[in-house]
Amino acid sequence: MSYSDKVIDHYNNPRNVGSMDKSSADVGTGLVGAPECGDVMKLQIKVNRETNVIEEARFKTFGCGSAIASSSLATEWVKGKTVDEALTIKNMDIVKELSLPPVKIHCSVLAEDAIRAAIGDWKKKQESAKPVASAVAQ
Amino acid sequence: MTNSSLTTITAKAAPEETQSCWSCGTMRAVHFCAACGKVQPPVPVDYFTFFGLPRKLNLDISRLEKDFYELSRKLHPDLSARASSQEQEWSLQQSSLLNDAHRTLKDPIRRTQYLLQLEGVELEEQSKTATEQARSAGELKKQIVPPDLLEEVFELNMQLEELRMHKKMGEDDPALIEEIGRQKLELEEKQEALLRELKDHWETWDGMIQRQQNGQPVSEEERKQERGKLVDLLNRRNYIRNLVRDVSEVLEN
Repeated sequence: MSYSDKVIDHYNNPRNVGSMDKSSADVGTGLVGAPECGDVMKLQIKVNRETNVIEEARFKTFGCGSAIASSSLATEWVKGKTVDEALTIKNMDIVKELSLPPVKIHCSVLAEDAIRAAIGDWKKKQESAKPVASAVAQ
Repeated sequence: MTNSSLTTITAKAAPEETQSCWSCGTMRAVHFCAACGKVQPPVPVDYFTFFGLPRKLNLDISRLEKDFYELSRKLHPDLSARASSQEQEWSLQQSSLLNDAHRTLKDPIRRTQYLLQLEGVELEEQSKTATEQARSAGELKKQIVPPDLLEEVFELNMQLEELRMHKKMGEDDPALIEEIGRQKLELEEKQEALLRELKDHWETWDGMIQRQQNGQPVSEEERKQERGKLVDLLNRRNYIRNLVRDVSEVLEN
């Protein structure tokens, strides 16, 4: 199996590798895994509280080239999007963009899971940050 | 071939019991005709059936080995040199099936994976479906692997990466090497423990299959639950296995 040029590019020059402060109220962290192959992927987002726009994204992935490329692309895509917009990213969009072969679709699934997990973590932090508002909403 | 499970096959004549031997017309077994001893054309059977075994996870390895060698000998191309070219081709195909079946069944992990596959468990497909469901429901997907294990896997990978970097730079880091060496021991213990846990679940699984064979009903719900536990254990084990492999690699180089 050969990797597409885009996968190789992301693999050789991964975008947004690194981490942000997990405990920060503006940062959401998603840590997900694909047990079939033993990959782990961590994706973090930093969200502007006023606009809900994702201003920063970081990732660190231990896995194959396709998993690294999928998460690298995911960070590129979520940046500049609002949280709700980022939730519309589907794994098949990643498959198309990177021309992933069927055996590597699970890498794109992992990337989508990571985005959702990061946003979920951030949302949870926002809810617990304003207990009064959420109590009213209920 | 007394006391061999192959005799059981002949007696029970697997799923294709309606078929008969191409040569003498009597009822045939999976590989050889019990009556005339002629090799039979391969039929699509699962590996358990091929060896005349029930779909249980505990199996008598010494008997499996014995049956394997006996069949290997009988299916050896040299022995069938005087047979027709059609029979030789069947022998070859049966041989290859035999090797695959043997390799899969003798290994505890592969055997469990194979059984789950027969039970219709598709890990990747399940994961993809779960993601799609979470997407449409706007909910978070439940991770199959416990978060603390993921955390541990991630942290250890970070340390391994650090150690690789140090080695690349030609630096020595005895403290880190010692720390990783200690973790390697822990991981190996964990791997052992998981295997023991897996074997406990084999017992439960086999008990369930036995009950079914005895004519007692087994609900699909129970079967599904047991499958789920086996899948969960295999998943956890995959991570640990990968880590043990990576840690050993870094420490040895």
